[in-house]
Amino acid sequence: MTHSSPLTIALFYCRNVPGSGEAQRQAIEVAHGRTVRLFPLPCSGRLDMVHLMRALEEFADAAYLITCPEGTCRYFEGNTRAKKRVERTRALIESIGLEGERVGIVMESKENPKPLSKLVDELKTAASALNPSPVLQWAEKPRGRERRNSL
Amino acid sequence: MCSGVCRRRRKETATLASALRMAARMDNSDVQIDEKTIDRQCVMEFVIQLDEMIEPYDAVLSLGCGAGVQAVAEMYPELPIIPGLNTEFLGETKAQGHWAETCVGCGDCMLYYFGGICPLTRCAKQIQNGPCGGSIEGRCEVNPDTPCAWQMIIDRLTTFDALDRLERVYPPKDWSKKQGGGPRKIIRADQQR
Amino acid sequence: MSHLRQILEQGEFAVTAECGPPKGAEPDVIFKKADILRGTVDAVNVTDNQTAIVRMSSLAACSLLKSAGLEPVLQMVVRDRNRIALQSDVLGASAIGIRNLLCLSGDHQSFGNQPQGLGVFDLDSIQFIETVRKMRDEGTLMGGDPLSAPPDIFIGAAANPFADPLTFRATRLAKKINAGADFIQTQCIYNLERFESWLSMAADRGLTEKAHILGGVTPLEVPRYGPVYEKQGVGNGYPRWDHQADGRGPQGETARRRDSHLRGNHSAAERIARR
Repeated sequence: MTHSSPLTIALFYCRNVPGSGEAQRQAIEVAHGRTVRLFPLPCSGRLDMVHLMRALEEFADAAYLITCPEGTCRYFEGNTRAKKRVERTRALIESIGLEGERVGIVMESKENPKPLSKLVDELKTAASALNPSPVLQWAEKPRGRERRNSL
Repeated sequence: MCSGVCRRRRKETATLASALRMAARMDNSDVQIDEKTIDRQCVMEFVIQLDEMIEPYDAVLSLGCGAGVQAVAEMYPELPIIPGLNTEFLGETKAQGHWAETCVGCGDCMLYYFGGICPLTRCAKQIQNGPCGGSIEGRCEVNPDTPCAWQMIIDRLTTFDALDRLERVYPPKDWSKKQGGGPRKIIRADQQR
Repeated sequence: MSHLRQILEQGEFAVTAECGPPKGAEPDVIFKKADILRGTVDAVNVTDNQTAIVRMSSLAACSLLKSAGLEPVLQMVVRDRNRIALQSDVLGASAIGIRNLLCLSGDHQSFGNQPQGLGVFDLDSIQFIETVRKMRDEGTLMGGDPLSAPPDIFIGAAANPFADPLTFRATRLAKKINAGADFIQTQCIYNLERFESWLSMAADRGLTEKAHILGGVTPLEVPRYGPVYEKQGVGNGYPRWDHQADGRGPQGETARRRDSHLRGNHSAAERIARR
């Protein structure tokens, strides 16, 4: 299936991923426009399920996390904990009928770490196999009634 | 809305709310779901914090324990209060993300006799004169991941040189202290106003 | 009076067998087993929903066996009945002439075909033994209410010499006997060495003088039961099975059909009897 508009992906990443400095981040954003939204984290262990969920709820067709290689986390267990959170998020979205593939984790290879820009390309390709998110399609429609006062 | 001892409660609530909003959208239903966290859902003084915001809502999904759900329901009799958790047990936090049941709230504590290990809770057959024939190398035959509570009791009493406590036959439990008079309550007149 | 009791009190060797009630309402199965066992055993154990699988009630099957001329040993587990039901069934059993009762915990409900059932365990097996003894000897229910007529029951208990911790097994046996057990039936013996050390611990405490001990023997149908037992941990102490193609057991002895407790394994039975 071809999409009229490209999918949007949210990318959370550890700042230790090569090529993820501020200048490179800006370059990637210029290159991909609004289809890639980048969220640097001081450590992938700071990722919480709610970050992935909010991204999927508000704008992303898929949300991924990129971590440093296993065993190299500056905070020892940040990336392994993050992995479990991604897995739990996947189970949660599957429980509401959303495809599990809409969240994912990429752990950098220790031997051949790839720069962020390369991983962005790969993840965009992976996401292109997905249909646009049914969650966001709804958001396009007009609301039936007025939103209540927010909390 | 959420409460309790879980220190990640705000994020847990936000995560569930987000999932519910997405599910509603995929279902094409126009539902507004908002979140609120209070510190104790079983104490009226905290539940009252909902007063100022609860009016426009059609239902409340409570992530409190069963007691919290009922306290909120009692406070807002006109609103459906939906339990969002399956409340399981009185337990102990063994490690981050690991809780274990250790007390059934029987109202007739015998921990002293059994070296601080409750066989009513931790033995699959609630045996007070154990161990049964299914204790194998310190594990329970019902679930080999579970240590045999009676092996633990014997080990501990051996350490205290108090194994003789197990020579006597412990009499049948007085279950009236748990369920004999319907739901239980505790009144401390000295603490009442 | 219990025939089993008479035999044991005369110091004779008693032979009992086991009869598992059917998974259905047909009495014929019981009568068929009664025909097989008649004249060969002193009493017949009737299991109570063993391995937590629903079967015809033990009490009813005992009644059928009795009508067929055999002496039943009623097995009762505390898994499925609270103290009200247990005491009531003891009175009922005595009223229909059942004279032997084996008081058991019962296999945990998670092992059977009703794993979602509530495990009652209101009393444990030792408390149950004590309750029956008081009903019989003091003519009272738990709590002291008098009975219009006490039950006439020979009280049995089970022991597993092969479970852990070994040193505490004799203590637990003592508790059962002190609570009121007149006779003890052990789990199937596949490890004679361990059985003997258990028995000598019991003798050291004077327990063999206070109660009659019946060793359990079950010839195995190989290879049908061996691996099953091993997997389920049933008959704890059971030797690691060597899956020989010829269906021979660990001693090279061809295993036979599992008919009754003491048939087909005379050497072990005799060694146990000599104790």
